[in-house]
Amino acid sequence: MSNVVVRPAMVAVSRRVRAYFAPFDRTANRPAIFDPGKHGAFLLDAPPSPWIDLGEIEKFQRTSGTEVQAMIAGTTGTPAGQFRRALDAKVEFEFREWGKLQMALAGGSEHMNVLALDPDASARPSGGIPVGAVGVLDGSTTNEIVLGAGAVDAFAVGDMVAVDLDYAQQTGWVGTGVASAYVKDPADVQRDRDYVRRVTFNVGRVAGKTATSLLLAQPLAGGIPLAGASVQKVVAFVDREGGSFFQDWSALFVHEEESGGRVCLYYPRLSPSRASGGATGKFQAEARSAIQEPLAVINLHASFLAMPYVDENDGETVLCYRSYFPAEMSAVY
Amino acid sequence: MPAGQPPGRRRYTTELSEPMQFAKDSFSMALRERLAGLNPARIVTLSGAQRPAIVVLENETPTPAELLTECYYIEWGPMRVAEAVSAQRPLCAMDCTISYCSRGTVASGVDRGRILGELDRELFMICQPTVTGKYDFSQSPNANLGSGAFWTLPAVDATKTTFRRSDHDPAVVEHQAKVTVFFFPEVETI
Repeated sequence: MSNVVVRPAMVAVSRRVRAYFAPFDRTANRPAIFDPGKHGAFLLDAPPSPWIDLGEIEKFQRTSGTEVQAMIAGTTGTPAGQFRRALDAKVEFEFREWGKLQMALAGGSEHMNVLALDPDASARPSGGIPVGAVGVLDGSTTNEIVLGAGAVDAFAVGDMVAVDLDYAQQTGWVGTGVASAYVKDPADVQRDRDYVRRVTFNVGRVAGKTATSLLLAQPLAGGIPLAGASVQKVVAFVDREGGSFFQDWSALFVHEEESGGRVCLYYPRLSPSRASGGATGKFQAEARSAIQEPLAVINLHASFLAMPYVDENDGETVLCYRSYFPAEMSAVY
Repeated sequence: MPAGQPPGRRRYTTELSEPMQFAKDSFSMALRERLAGLNPARIVTLSGAQRPAIVVLENETPTPAELLTECYYIEWGPMRVAEAVSAQRPLCAMDCTISYCSRGTVASGVDRGRILGELDRELFMICQPTVTGKYDFSQSPNANLGSGAFWTLPAVDATKTTFRRSDHDPAVVEHQAKVTVFFFPEVETI
């Protein structure tokens, strides 16, 4: 007598990789956690908080440079055991979509919001003296910025805006919700009242207006505006080669399942790095992906170094996690 | 146990027609259900019954009658091994041609291009997501086989098929889309 059991193949098939990033809490030195048991089966278009969907990526490569060495013992010099040293893991890929976060992650250092310029201001490569900010009122949320009647007229549907506190001569991390820059000395940033809004990740696109507020198309990445925050118009984004600041983010990559099995790759802390650059030996900041010559998609090339994290369950120091959710009814081995 | 089958070994389903049929049926039923949800008015009447305008020609009674306009006709190609990821369970593929045409909705037919564009759009929408569960529709209720089928996005081209009518009827505009459907055949254990 036969016992018929259906066994889908244990083969992971995927056509694309999705990237999700979440801010690393630099003050508390704590990553955003991806718990496979709690978050693993999420809808790819609706990631759980605080993960932000940064779209499909291409040429995704994970490399491990961790050394495994043998302990040699005895007169015969035979291996008695092995150990790992110099933990090293890198991630490299290309963002297909451009945006504030994608540029910041690919660029790696401070990422600047170019604030709408005062017409009389002198020119600077990352934006000169801007038009004055408008104060944000109580009751604002991540999607709605309350400005009050009249004040709201300074903005139009379609504008990009930056929402954050005035710079108050402090030193340390600045930026609501996401550490956007580090100020060592207020003189470095010319005690610029608008400096925080120049670097903040709390940016959005005005999709609509009420009589007193701006309605944003996407929620602010850094969260609800803090009391005392102001808003300014943004006209472009700028990143720079150089600078002393390094972005720090938690990352999650998902091989979108076609045959049923999902593969998730979680990095508690990624810091921008520079890959070898292949044949040229140089890091190419942008990559060209031809559609039909001369048309091409310009991809943002990004490369990261995985930073260590101590797993609370066993105290081991690790760099990344790979989780697998087998297809329904597939064999487990 | 079949003759010649070593005891305790998995037996590969040699009758590949069954899993192939499961994949065909699952794909066409997924498209039919999605079309019903996307555009409930996109229906046809065949053999006296109304249904979403997805017709698998090999499942219908042969007829010399002219094919319907604003209806997706599915033709299947043969199955092939796409990737021998496992000798026992290769990744299989079948090419599928989806043909559809329009004469327009007004007597002059001047909106036939718009209607064909709408059919293109609906086809792209019902083909996404590009996966569906695989079911055995030969029993009632349908049996969930636990596995799935997945496919490429439609590639619309001008390849001629036996169903191309715009060659001899200028009032008809027609598109054919190619989709490749992938699946793993089921495996029986003894």
